[in-house]
Amino acid sequence: MDTIVTAGKLNSNEIFNLLKQFITEVIGEEFVEEMDISMDSSFNKDLEMDSIEIVAFSEKIKAHFGDKIDFTGWLSNMDIDELIGLKLGMIVNFIEECQ
Amino acid sequence: MARFVYIVPPLTGHVNPTLAVGAALLEAGHEVAWMSLDESLEARLPADGKLLLITYTDDDHSERESGQYLNVITKKVVYGVDSIKFLYEEVLIPLNRHCYKGISRLLEAYQPDLVITDHELFAGAIAALKHGVPYVTSVTAPAAIQIMDELPKVYEWEQNQIVALQQELGLRAERSVASSDLLNLVFTSKEFFGEVHLPDQYRFVGPVIYKRQAKTTFDWARIAEASEGARILVSIGTTFNHEHKKSFFDKVISAFGGGPYTVVVICDPLLFEEWPDNFIVQLNIPQLEVLPYLDAVVCHGGHNTVCESLSNGIPLVVIPIAYDQSHVAGRVVKTGAGLRLNFNRFKAQHLQAALHEVLHDPAFKTAAISLRDSFIAAGGTAAAAGLLVNLTKNKSTNYV
Repeated sequence: MDTIVTAGKLNSNEIFNLLKQFITEVIGEEFVEEMDISMDSSFNKDLEMDSIEIVAFSEKIKAHFGDKIDFTGWLSNMDIDELIGLKLGMIVNFIEECQ
Repeated sequence: MARFVYIVPPLTGHVNPTLAVGAALLEAGHEVAWMSLDESLEARLPADGKLLLITYTDDDHSERESGQYLNVITKKVVYGVDSIKFLYEEVLIPLNRHCYKGISRLLEAYQPDLVITDHELFAGAIAALKHGVPYVTSVTAPAAIQIMDELPKVYEWEQNQIVALQQELGLRAERSVASSDLLNLVFTSKEFFGEVHLPDQYRFVGPVIYKRQAKTTFDWARIAEASEGARILVSIGTTFNHEHKKSFFDKVISAFGGGPYTVVVICDPLLFEEWPDNFIVQLNIPQLEVLPYLDAVVCHGGHNTVCESLSNGIPLVVIPIAYDQSHVAGRVVKTGAGLRLNFNRFKAQHLQAALHEVLHDPAFKTAAISLRDSFIAAGGTAAAAGLLVNLTKNKSTNYV
């Protein structure tokens, strides 16, 4: 399902599109169509994703990248204010740096 | 015979389970009192139950002052992780700070054998420790003890808020005392709560439902005679404000108005000038008596309404707004007893489709019935009362 084998490194645009696809899978396509999802979208305010949806999203990232990226470790280090302020671009940058 | 005191916040969902267990203790001949800020609780107490009202005089300047802001929970629109921060910083910490002195005085005067304090009213635990009275924690919103593996810092942050208040109130403890070392009564079943690794002092007794005397009137004929179509209940609880309510019920009307349903709606009938003919709208209903007639429940994921529905084997559509409701909704979905919608995003057609699915796929009903059975097996009121009484029997034990 989410396990596209990535041969090489993804650039930030490719990562962004991939994450947008994961968000779509979590919250549903019809809602995403109405949203203007950008690098600057925050999970709490703009995407209105609650903690359970953020966890579902993070599971998709883990399923895709596997051991290559310690996304859980990175996310679990976030304190409550960082989580409230979490933006899509921050995750894109993190994944790009990890590769 | 022993003397018990409950310490409860002014939140219905946290109070109701204590009334059922308290009634069982009273029937067994024990003395039971309830400490609360809410004067109206007295009328709801079981026979012989005593209200110990937390009050302040003009000499208690800071408490008189802080008492004015306790209804903030009904006023602010909060969502997601943000709502957890709001709940602690603006609701729970001020509430506990406000209650502490009053609880402390009442404990001194009442001299109970055992304190049963709500998990969100940790001022009760702090006061019990300071007075050397053993205490048990009543966990009525179980998501609070569930740590999300992915987001451990959220739980850690919550604990830090409690520890800071403990220190402010003069209790030197490195960790939160909100959960008792002696016994935590968790009012759900393990099956509904999910896989957990908690110490032995956490006991899952199932949801405990207090059979309140039905004083609320209800049009029974209409629900009994609704021979065609499904009977459903729609409720988003009592905590949320007008703006939330209006947009929510707008969508409910579009989804179910004129449809093949009889819809019981818990809401102020004055919210709209007109409601569809197939709606029964009341601000209060005798919910426990109405539930057995219903085929599905649409709600915001308050733990009580969800458990009361599941106790009747009724599948759900859950639309969580804030706080622990997201977690409760997640459990409903995981256990297969219902579907979840996003409060901000859902539209009338999604609600209509979700209800249709829940009503027509028998798997939802089957899962709801299996949860009902897990609730019954957990022991309920009798199990909870038994655990409490046992704790008072061996007084030589060093409880604290």
